Amino acid sequence: MGILLFITVLLIAACGLIYELIAGTLASYLLGDSVLQFSTIIGCYLFAMGIGSALSRFIARGLAYRFVWIELLLGVVGGFSSALLFLAFAYAQGFQLLMYALVIIIGLLVGLEIPLLMRIVRGRYHFRDVVAHVLTFDYLGALGASLLFPILLVPYLGLVRSAMLFGIINVAVALWSTFLFANQIAKAWALRVVCLVVLVGLSFGLAEAKHITMAAEDNIYADEIIFARDTRYQHIVLTRFKDDIRLFLNSHLQFSSRDEYRYHEALVHPGLSAIPAPRRVLVLGGGDGLAVREILKYPQVETVTLVDLDPEMTRLFSSHPLLTALNQKSLSSPKVHVVNADAFPWVDSNRESFDFMVIDFPDPTNYSLGKLYTTTFYKAAARHLSAQGLMVVQSTSPMFARDSYWCIAETIKQAGLRIFPYHVYVPSFGEWGFVIAGFRDYQQPTSLPSGLRFMNVQGLPVLFQFPPDMAPLPMPPNRLNDQLLVRLYDQDWKDISH
Amino acid sequence: MTVSRREFMRSGCAALVGLSIKGDRPILGSFVNESFQQGHSLRDRASFPAPKQIVRIPVVIIGGGIAGLSAAWRFEGKGFSDFLLLEMNDQVGGNSRWGENEITSYPWAAHYVPVPGPKAVLVRELFEDLGVLKNGEWEERYLCFAPQERLFLYGRWQEGIEPAIGLKEKDRDQFRRLEEQIHRFRASGNFTVPMETGLSERNADLDRISFSAWLRGQGMDSRILNWYMNYCCRDDYGSTTDETSAWAGIQYFASREPEEKGPLTWPEGNGWIVRRLLERVGGFCRTGQMVHRISQEKRAIRVFAGETEYQAEFAIFAAPTFVAPYLIEGLSALQDFEYSPWLTANLTLERLPAAYGGDPTWDSVFLESPTLGYVDATHQTLRTHIDRTVWTFYWALADGPASGNRQRLLNNDWNYWKEAILRDLERVHPDIRKCVSRIDIMRMGHAMARPKVGAVFSLERRQLKKTNGRVLFANSDLSGFSIFEEAQYRGVTAAETVLKDLAGDSRKAPHR
Repeated sequence: MGILLFITVLLIAACGLIYELIAGTLASYLLGDSVLQFSTIIGCYLFAMGIGSALSRFIARGLAYRFVWIELLLGVVGGFSSALLFLAFAYAQGFQLLMYALVIIIGLLVGLEIPLLMRIVRGRYHFRDVVAHVLTFDYLGALGASLLFPILLVPYLGLVRSAMLFGIINVAVALWSTFLFANQIAKAWALRVVCLVVLVGLSFGLAEAKHITMAAEDNIYADEIIFARDTRYQHIVLTRFKDDIRLFLNSHLQFSSRDEYRYHEALVHPGLSAIPAPRRVLVLGGGDGLAVREILKYPQVETVTLVDLDPEMTRLFSSHPLLTALNQKSLSSPKVHVVNADAFPWVDSNRESFDFMVIDFPDPTNYSLGKLYTTTFYKAAARHLSAQGLMVVQSTSPMFARDSYWCIAETIKQAGLRIFPYHVYVPSFGEWGFVIAGFRDYQQPTSLPSGLRFMNVQGLPVLFQFPPDMAPLPMPPNRLNDQLLVRLYDQDWKDISH
Repeated sequence: MTVSRREFMRSGCAALVGLSIKGDRPILGSFVNESFQQGHSLRDRASFPAPKQIVRIPVVIIGGGIAGLSAAWRFEGKGFSDFLLLEMNDQVGGNSRWGENEITSYPWAAHYVPVPGPKAVLVRELFEDLGVLKNGEWEERYLCFAPQERLFLYGRWQEGIEPAIGLKEKDRDQFRRLEEQIHRFRASGNFTVPMETGLSERNADLDRISFSAWLRGQGMDSRILNWYMNYCCRDDYGSTTDETSAWAGIQYFASREPEEKGPLTWPEGNGWIVRRLLERVGGFCRTGQMVHRISQEKRAIRVFAGETEYQAEFAIFAAPTFVAPYLIEGLSALQDFEYSPWLTANLTLERLPAAYGGDPTWDSVFLESPTLGYVDATHQTLRTHIDRTVWTFYWALADGPASGNRQRLLNNDWNYWKEAILRDLERVHPDIRKCVSRIDIMRMGHAMARPKVGAVFSLERRQLKKTNGRVLFANSDLSGFSIFEEAQYRGVTAAETVLKDLAGDSRKAPHR
């Protein structure tokens, strides 16, 4: 019996530590700032364990019976903790409250375990042996768990299923304890039935965890998904691997936090720096606030109007700590006015004038999005442009979608604007293209805002040179009644992937 | 199958409380815009009240469809304002009526105008006035957005309505030969829009046989080609190729340019044109005014509507011509005016049905269906995100005798037609019942003139096209078929004739 008893200690110690690690990791993934998250979670957890140990003195009788119940409870609470936290993060408010509540409950229960166990077995061994053995195996279990967690559990099982698995181990310990301490438990069979029911529940959870974790999507996304939501308009997914946060809309990569500065600096500064006194700026699309972040580097800019279809998108990028760290809380700036509207009707009906316009829509992958790349759209947009104003248009890749890129450039031209195409290398996208357009000639700026990570004045002329493999192609324009671009774009990418 | 977390949670919760989340919502709706009773009161020679007031007005336009509104548009454009337009229904527009709900406006019948060719001078003039044609360029937002049309066949969608997949060499050969024939007819200049400008006796023999007989005569027996020809005739004329004059069948293809990037269309269909016309001539229109008697006298024409008698110098009869013998004293019954019964329905969709490859289009047609498919009212919107919409479902009851189909229209209740429509859609959209919240149905016993064999060159039509004393006929059915350009042409030319005659009269005897 001795060795079995100490294996029990080892297992429950491992379970307790795993729940703690999961809470800490989840909080770091979802909220960022891992030092803060791990510190506060370990602190709360240890503190709750202390309370648990203190409370153990009030349990006077039925020690083994209560120990089994504690294991059962731990199995359920710990096992489902990760799933519950993911769901709370996506669908409910008060994620942090729930997280700390769970950590404290788990800590309390774990704190009760060891004192109770020591009292259960104290009659069988010398006190000094009990303390020595129990604590030895306790720390051994902790070592095992802390090695297992990063090496096997996170990469192969993920957070939700790891928690479920250890919940099952907790309940298995409960079941096994009813045999181990059979002589101290009346009606052990009733407890065993409960154990079996909980085991079935957790096993079902383990099997179905795919649906909860979006592990089904793990095939699409290389990294851990830290946020996923179906809004009325799109499917938003955020992934994180180490310090790389990626945003996907309808499974299309929008940015990687590692190199988005290249994209957004190149999107904004060549155009905006070329305008003598830009006061009013319009951003269409770009609900991530990253282009706005760059625009706010110009103190002359008085107002930025951001039109993005999806209120959940702009809310997410106004409130999520990881994302506001990325966009430097740009969407909360008093200069910024967020309008949640469909861009084309908004542009068509609004009459405001702007000195600079950023048109940063998703690629024309379908006929609905294709409307935003038509002569009619650019004509409507041009009506908002002040005489000295410029617009810049995200125009797909001149490298991978060369036909599409030059079709967009031609479409803007046919809308009556002068075009100045340029391109930039963004590692996570590859070679990417933009078009500056306006009524006047464009002169490359002679100065740029300070503190840019990528753009400098010397580097500007190169952006406007197109090597032979990206050189202009004669293309007809994209029109509402003949959306050539959608077919071109589709074909361009098919050619790449074959 | 992948289940989203939300669905997982929802189904979990539903299972917990023992509720089914699949409970279908009921589909609401009714018949709308019914005018059988008014029409039948004329047919049955019901007695109408004696006039209580007399209004003297130089010109009365009877009927507020495109023909009547176009006459009014011409009057207004020429600065002539001594006229009134009387419309039987509460809403003008005729076959270009439209409706509106919180999602979109939508058509009740005619929903597009093919891009007018150079010979359609009057339609081009109208579209210049409405801002559709600017400096020789068509406003892009009024041209049908891509992708325009699709056909469901062999379990999948293809782009375009003319069948292009699954064709055998024989089918291809016959399509090619037909195209060559059409090209020759087009080049002859005898098949034009409006039809009057090109109409030639040389082609009168084509009006003496049916389109299907002509196709047979040309050795065109391909099943798929004949399906497509039959679809086109049902779509434009409400009749099958067996019932359609070969001249009209050829006109459908030969009067249009083959390479047009159109048509012109709007969410409410041609209702958009009516709206714009109303902005110009709405002040002259009197709705809910059913004319029940017209009597011609030497010095005036008396038009009785409701409890008012209008005494005018001229009346432009823009209502369907078949009603004329019931109204105009002394006009004998018409033999050559036959009409097709139609049904249109507007379906409100709370969500879009599952797609089967490809983007949704403006017009969707199903191969071998007795109906004509549906048109999506939100297709022609600038919005990029659409999650609710309205579909206009078209059904020309073309098979079998028209009178029997009219009885079928009248005798069956809303539920019968609702089921018939859903069953047709279900073949292509199995989940349609879960998407639709409302189906409103409009029944039209005499929706459009049917260009049956002999109709186009009929003597009766030729006589009515001439001025008949003080009554000028202006409905598109004078052309033999109901299309927007014909109605507009007839309305405008009638107005011009009246203006000329009034000028002549006033030279002889100034009436003021």
